[in-house]
Amino acid sequence: MLEGLNRVGIYEWEVPVGYVPGMRVAGRFFLSESLAKTLEPGAVQQLANVATLPGILKNSLAMPDIHWGYGFPIGGVAAFSVDEGIISPGGVGFDINCGVRLLSTPLLHKDVSGRRDLIDELFRTVPTGVGAKSCLKVSSQSLDGMMVKGARWAVSAGYGVERDLMRCEEGGFMNAADTRFISAKAKQRGIPQGGTLGSGNHFLEIQVVREIFDPDAAKAFGLTLGQVCCMIHCGSRGLGHQVCTDHLKILESATKKYHITIPDRQLACAPITSPEGRAYFGAMAASANYAWANRQMITHTTRQVLSKMFRVEYEEMPLIYDVAHNVAKIEEHILDGKSRKVCVHRKGATRAFGPGSRDLPPDLTSIGQPVIIPGSMGTSSYVLRGTQLAMDRTFGSTCHGAGRIMSRTQAKKTLNGREITANLLKEGIIVRAHSENAIADEAPGVYKPSDEVVNVVHEVGISRLVARLSPLGVIKG
Amino acid sequence: MSFEEIPHTADVKIHASAPTLEALFSETFNALMQVMYGTERGDGTIRKIRIESTDNESLLADFLSEALFLSEVEGLVFSDARIRINGYCLIAELRGESFDPARHSGGSEVKGISYSGLEILHDANGYMLDIIFDV
Repeated sequence: MLEGLNRVGIYEWEVPVGYVPGMRVAGRFFLSESLAKTLEPGAVQQLANVATLPGILKNSLAMPDIHWGYGFPIGGVAAFSVDEGIISPGGVGFDINCGVRLLSTPLLHKDVSGRRDLIDELFRTVPTGVGAKSCLKVSSQSLDGMMVKGARWAVSAGYGVERDLMRCEEGGFMNAADTRFISAKAKQRGIPQGGTLGSGNHFLEIQVVREIFDPDAAKAFGLTLGQVCCMIHCGSRGLGHQVCTDHLKILESATKKYHITIPDRQLACAPITSPEGRAYFGAMAASANYAWANRQMITHTTRQVLSKMFRVEYEEMPLIYDVAHNVAKIEEHILDGKSRKVCVHRKGATRAFGPGSRDLPPDLTSIGQPVIIPGSMGTSSYVLRGTQLAMDRTFGSTCHGAGRIMSRTQAKKTLNGREITANLLKEGIIVRAHSENAIADEAPGVYKPSDEVVNVVHEVGISRLVARLSPLGVIKG
Repeated sequence: MSFEEIPHTADVKIHASAPTLEALFSETFNALMQVMYGTERGDGTIRKIRIESTDNESLLADFLSEALFLSEVEGLVFSDARIRINGYCLIAELRGESFDPARHSGGSEVKGISYSGLEILHDANGYMLDIIFDV
């Protein structure tokens, strides 16, 4: 482990105040002994940098998928006082509400095993990759709907059913959306991309439930052993990227205006209550809503394909849950025994609310929130449930995925897309992507093993394992 | 005058150097386009842009962000930028062609230009920088 850090538990380390100048609170992160070998000094520095921001509460936190990002580390969580704290796009990222959802089906492994035609059809109908444009023609009026009402707009436009909304974080849209702070450029980028997956680590995967760890929770979520599911991982596309770019610029001036000292320009921020802070929050919420609508539209396309190819009714494919893992939210948390409104930033971290939370649908109140953790290509994905300990320790947050350990440059040099595709096929996994580079870039070996990451959050208790799913087919950008 | 991709776990990190500030901007622009669309990029279409900013780093980030925007909304893949800089004002002539999935699909979509660690350095040999593209 790096010098200057204190081990405070089997899976917990502290970054003491003073690790970088100006820290207001200590940093804390969760990691196993073996994952610690991959920890980069840059990621710890970023975790410490976050601790210097005004109004930060308790600790600057990072989950076991911590790695070096920009601004916040990936896997970073920080909550700020709504009165004295700041909001920063560096704590959300360019891909606002990048998130993941899991759709269930009544199909079994044997129904879809080896069905290349299914993966081909999904690859044909769900636009993926650089330059992809939507076939679902989004008008400027629809764009407003997407930004204001998110997945609720999509359902009312016919891209889903009412029950889907019960299974989305925030019911599929944030009330705080304010489209006045979305630039014409962002809108221009948003219109052609509604219903597109994008590229990079985004994917759509057909999976099978391989293991159930918690039968009661699995039953409540709607998961059974051997069942085929579909996982969709994507975000707010060019609209969100542009909103981040636009507001970073505004917040850079605001940082100076409000005399805030920051150790990294990507941490540009403003008081949450300032006009600049409110503008960013409103625009970020609108982008988050766009992302929820986007995932809902892709869900619709997927259901149509499955309906057509397997004669499955639309209603037989309920949504398990949808989570955002790049977002800032105003939430109520208990601090020093009192309930307080705080602004929680989750940058590559997932909300994991425990049993009893008011934000859960009534039938899941006793279980806790479903948490969806995508694996990397070819490796297992997991469903977990939120816990009270997460509420107590991490502002109701857990990890978001595997976390990269190999750079893209190294991946392209050492891995061959064609070989990876052939090897995955031997394991029964069909891969479709626009380029071999895209496959090498996201190959299983470039990520931390996802089972080790989820094992840490399970052992620490900030979420508990419910089920493991493994891939049968994947489409990528 | 050159650029190279240096290992970065999450994103794409570029190191670029050039004898003049204009050439440094042009190299970084080429790096961005290569990351997104690969090396087979032609010309034939011209777009002109003008950017004003408050310092060299912001000028570069704003210029590259504008290029990303233009490339995406107009479906253009640029091969070259001719740049003039006067103070913190930039005028660029971008040369490129329409996006062709057959030749331009090999890259990674860049979501944004990061300010993390972005600093333009100047010494007797010219200018250099490290920049992170979020992919």
